[in-house]
Amino acid sequence: MSSPATAGSPVSATASTILSSRRFWLVAAAIAIGVLPMIFSDSYWRTNLIVCAVNVLLAIGLDFVLGYAGQLNLGQSAFSGIGAYASTLLITRLGVPFWIAFACGVLLAGLAGMVLSIFAVRLRGHYLAIASLGFAVITYQVLLNWISLTQGPLGIYGIAPPPPLAIPGLPTIAFSNLPNLFYLTGGFALLTYILLDQLVRSPIGETLTAIREDEVSAASLGVNCQKWKVFAFAVSSAVAGAGGCFYASFVGTLVPDAFFVTESFSILAMVIVGGMGTLIGPVLGAILLTVLPELLRGVGDLRLIVYGASVTLVVLFMPGGIVQAVRLITAHLRRRFAGMPADIKP
Amino acid sequence: MSKRPLRTFLIPAALLSGLLAASTTSAAAADKVIKIGGLLPMSGPGSYFGAQDKQGVELAIEQLNKTGVNGYKFEVQYEDSACSPLPATQAAQRLIEQFKPDVVIGEECSDATLAIMPVMAPAKIPLLNAGSSAIKITEPGNPWTFRIMPNEVMQGVDIANNAYKRLNARTAVLLHENTNAGIGNAQVFADTFTKDGGKILADIGFGRDVNDFTSIATRVAGLGKVDVIPTYTLEGQGLKITQALAQAGVVKGGGGQAIQLGTIWLPFGFEQKAGKAALGYIRIVQFDPTDKRDIVRNFVQAFKAKYNQDPTHINAHAYDQIMLIADVVRRGAKDAQSIRDGLAATKDFSGVTGSVEFDKTNQNVKMDTVHYMETNPDLSWTALKWN
Amino acid sequence: MLTVILQQGINGIVVGSLYVLVALGLTLIYGVLVQINFAHADIVTLGAFVAYFVTHLLSGNYLAGIAVALIVGGALGWLLNAAIFAPLRDRGNELLPLIATIGVSIMLQNAMLVTLGPIPYAFDTPYSNHVIRFGGIFFTVQNLLIIVVSTITIGLLYAFMKFTFIGKALRAVSQDRETAGLMGINPNHVIMLTFIIASALAGMSGAMLGPVLVLTPFAGTSVIVKAFAIVIIGGFGNVEGTIIAGLIVGLIESYTTQFLDPGLIDIVVFALLLLTLAVRPTGLIAERREENV
Repeated sequence: MSSPATAGSPVSATASTILSSRRFWLVAAAIAIGVLPMIFSDSYWRTNLIVCAVNVLLAIGLDFVLGYAGQLNLGQSAFSGIGAYASTLLITRLGVPFWIAFACGVLLAGLAGMVLSIFAVRLRGHYLAIASLGFAVITYQVLLNWISLTQGPLGIYGIAPPPPLAIPGLPTIAFSNLPNLFYLTGGFALLTYILLDQLVRSPIGETLTAIREDEVSAASLGVNCQKWKVFAFAVSSAVAGAGGCFYASFVGTLVPDAFFVTESFSILAMVIVGGMGTLIGPVLGAILLTVLPELLRGVGDLRLIVYGASVTLVVLFMPGGIVQAVRLITAHLRRRFAGMPADIKP
Repeated sequence: MSKRPLRTFLIPAALLSGLLAASTTSAAAADKVIKIGGLLPMSGPGSYFGAQDKQGVELAIEQLNKTGVNGYKFEVQYEDSACSPLPATQAAQRLIEQFKPDVVIGEECSDATLAIMPVMAPAKIPLLNAGSSAIKITEPGNPWTFRIMPNEVMQGVDIANNAYKRLNARTAVLLHENTNAGIGNAQVFADTFTKDGGKILADIGFGRDVNDFTSIATRVAGLGKVDVIPTYTLEGQGLKITQALAQAGVVKGGGGQAIQLGTIWLPFGFEQKAGKAALGYIRIVQFDPTDKRDIVRNFVQAFKAKYNQDPTHINAHAYDQIMLIADVVRRGAKDAQSIRDGLAATKDFSGVTGSVEFDKTNQNVKMDTVHYMETNPDLSWTALKWN
Repeated sequence: MLTVILQQGINGIVVGSLYVLVALGLTLIYGVLVQINFAHADIVTLGAFVAYFVTHLLSGNYLAGIAVALIVGGALGWLLNAAIFAPLRDRGNELLPLIATIGVSIMLQNAMLVTLGPIPYAFDTPYSNHVIRFGGIFFTVQNLLIIVVSTITIGLLYAFMKFTFIGKALRAVSQDRETAGLMGINPNHVIMLTFIIASALAGMSGAMLGPVLVLTPFAGTSVIVKAFAIVIIGGFGNVEGTIIAGLIVGLIESYTTQFLDPGLIDIVVFALLLLTLAVRPTGLIAERREENV
C-alpha cells in the first residue's frame, strides 16, 4: 500500500492513464457515433443528432479562430450561409455532383473568411467583432435581396440529401435515411476535430496562442501575425461552410433567415459555455445547447432565456465553461482516489 | 466526445417518451378516437397565429366531443413549428413519432408549410392547411396536402379585377414585405391589373425589419395620382404604413384619394389600432362577422361565450378545419387514408368562412370564401358583397 | 420633385436624430471603457415599453413616460456595470465582457418576449398623429418633438462634457485612465456615471422611438446594428462624429428608399461601414487617436 502522498492504487493509476489518453476518447467518440442512432430509434431524436453534429462542426470552427487565435469572429452565420447556398446552387442550377459542390462551398466560404480577415487584419478586438458582424449583416442582406440568384425569401425547396455512396465490395449507402446521414455528419465532425486537434498541437497552434496572448510580443519575435490570423480565419470559415453544406442537404429547405446574424451568437454561446480555448469544450457546448432547448420544448421561449443566462453566468463565474467545471471536479475526485483527503491541496 | 453528456439526457428522454406513450394509450382505450395533430407557431413572430388557432380548435373540439361523431371523439396534440422550416420539420417529425395522428392541421406560414409537406406525404398523413397562401403548396398537386383558404392567385386575380372594374382604378402602387407570400401576392396583382389595362406606378418591397415608413410614404406621394395601394404585410408594419400614408396625405384617411387594398393578413381590430388613417381601406377577409348565415351567428355567439372576445379569421379558419375533419368522419372516414379520401371528395361543405370544394389539386375553389370589407369612418366594417 | 427631395431630407434627419440618440450612449461607454455593450439595444426596447405602459396604462402623459424611461434606463445601466463590467474589469481579457453582454442581451430580449409577447403594440401618443403641413411638406408633432429633444439632449451633453468638472473627468478617463487616477479622479466612479448616463440616454431614445418603431421585443435590435455602424463611421468615442454619422445614415435611409429600394438600405450602410474600417478605422470624422496596433 503506497503512502498517501504518492499516486494511489494500481487500479486507479491504470484508469487515469487510460482516461487521459486522447486515443481512448477518440475511439470512444467513434463508437458513440456508431451507436447513437441505435439508441434513438425515432426520427425526431435522430434529426436532433444530426443538428448536433452540424453545430459541433460550427462550434469547433469558431473556437479555432476565437479560442486559439483570439479573434472574435461574429460572422460564422455568413460563412455557413455561403457554404450552404454555394453548394446548393451548384447542385440545383448546374447539376454539379454533390461532393464537388460540397468542396466548392467549403472553399468559397474559406475564401470569404480569408478576404474578410485580410481586410480586417489591422483591426483589434472590438473593431474586428463589429466588422465581422457587418459582414454577416451584408451577407444576409445579399442572400435576401439577390432574388434572381438565391431565390431570396422565396426559398429553395426539395434539396436532395447527398447521393448514395457506392463503395466497391460494400452495399450502397443511401443518405436519405437518417442514421446514415448522422454517420456522415458525425464522422465528418470527428475527422474535422482530429484535424484541428493536430493543428492545435503543432507549432502552428503555439503560434496562434502566442498571437492571442500578446500580439505585439509575438510580432517582435518575428511572427507574421497577419498571415496566421488570416489562416485561422480561413480555416474557421471553411469549417463553417462545411456545416452549412450539410445543413442544406439535411433540412431540404434553404431560406436566408436560417443564416441571420443571431445564429452567430448561438454558436458563440456554444463555444463559451463549453469552454473557449479547448477543442472538446465547444463539442460539449454544442451538444448541450442543441439538446437542451429540445428538452425544454414545453417551456417555449423560456429556453432562450436559459441560453442567455448560461452564457452570462459562465463568463462571469466560470469563463472556462464546462471544460473548466469538469477539470475542477476531476481534480477533486482524483485527489480523493489517490488516497489523499480531499482538503489537502497539493 | 465523451459518453457522459449523453447519459444524462437518455433518462429524461426515456421518461418523457414513456409518459407520452402512456397518456395516448389511455385515451385510445376509452373511446374510438380520431387523432388530430396541430402544427402551429407557438413561439416567435408568428405565435399569435398559433394562439388564435388553438382557440378555434378548442371550441370546435368541445362542441364535437359533447356527442361525438359516428362514435368517434376527437383528440388534439399541438407542436410548435415556429413559422420557420427547420423547427417545423422537427416538430412534424416529433408529432408523427410520438402522437401518430390521423390527420394534421397546419401551418400558418408558407415557408413552414412547404417544409412539412415532404414529411407528411411519405408518412401518409393528410395535411389540412388554412393559412398559407403560396401557390406552390397546391399547384404541383400533392395528394396529401389540402387547402381550404383561397390561394394567392385566387385572391390576387379577384381583387385586381375588382379594383379595375368596381373601383375604376387605373393606377396602383404595390407595397409588400419581402417574403414568399408578399412577393407572390404582389406579382399576381400586378399581372392581372396590367392585363386589365391598369398601370403599376411602383413596386416597393421591404424587409420585416423596416420600421419607419415615412420615407416610403413620401415616395408614394411623389408618384402622382394613385388610385389603389395593394398592401401585403403583417399587422405591425401594416399599422405603420397606413398611418404614414395618411400623414403623407396619400390615402383617404389622410385627405387623399388613394384606397389601400389588402388581404387576410391584417387581423380584426386593426382599424382600432390604426385610427382614422384606416378610413376607406378595402380588404379581403376570410371571415365576415356580419354574415347572416346561422352557422356564422352560432359560431360568433359560442366563441364570445367561451372567450369573451370577437372571433378573428384565424379563429374561424381553425374552427372550420376541425369541423371539416368531423364532416369527413361523419361520411365514414376513420383513419389517415380514409380521411384523405374523404377530404378529396368534399363538395358543398359549409363552414363559417365559406364553402369548401376541392379541385384535383386539393385546393378549395369556392369563391365565397373571399369576402370584401370596407372600413367606415367609425372604424366598423361594411361588407361589400362582391362575391 | 423638389418637394419630395426636401421631404425625404426631413425624414432622414428625423430618423437620423433617433439613431444619434441611441448611438451616443454606445459611443460614450466605449470612449470611457473601451467596451461594447451589446445589451444597449435591449435597454432601448425596454425604455420604449416602459414609456408605453406609463403613457397608456397609467394614463400618465407621454412626457412623463419619457422621464420614467430615462430613469429606468439609467438604473439598468448602473446594474449592468455593477454586475458585469466592474467584476470583469481586471480580468484582462477584453472579449469576456463583450460576450457577457451578448448573454445579457439574449436574456433581456427573451424575458420581454415571454412577458410581453411578439404581437406589436400600437404606441400612439397625442403627438404622433398630429400632422403639420406647409408647402408640400409634412411632419408630425412627434417628429418635431424628436428633433427638439435630441438637439437639447445633445447640446446638454456637449456642454456637460466640455464645461463641467465631471464632464472633464470623463474625458480624462477616456484619454488615459491611469493618469486620470493619479490626478485624483476615481475612474470607477466615472465609469459608473458614464454607464448611467449612456443607459439613461438609451432608455429615453427608446421612449421616443416607441411610437415610431414597430414595437415588439425585437424593436431595439433593428436599430442597434445601424447604431453600431454609426459609432464606427463616426469614430468610437467621438461625440461630434457620432452625431454627423447618425444624420448621414438617416439621410442614406430616406434617399435610398426614394431612389433605389428599401431593401438596399442595410447594404449601403454596411458597405459604408466596411469602407470606413478599411480606409480609416478610427472613423471618417474622427479626431481622436486610437491605438489599434
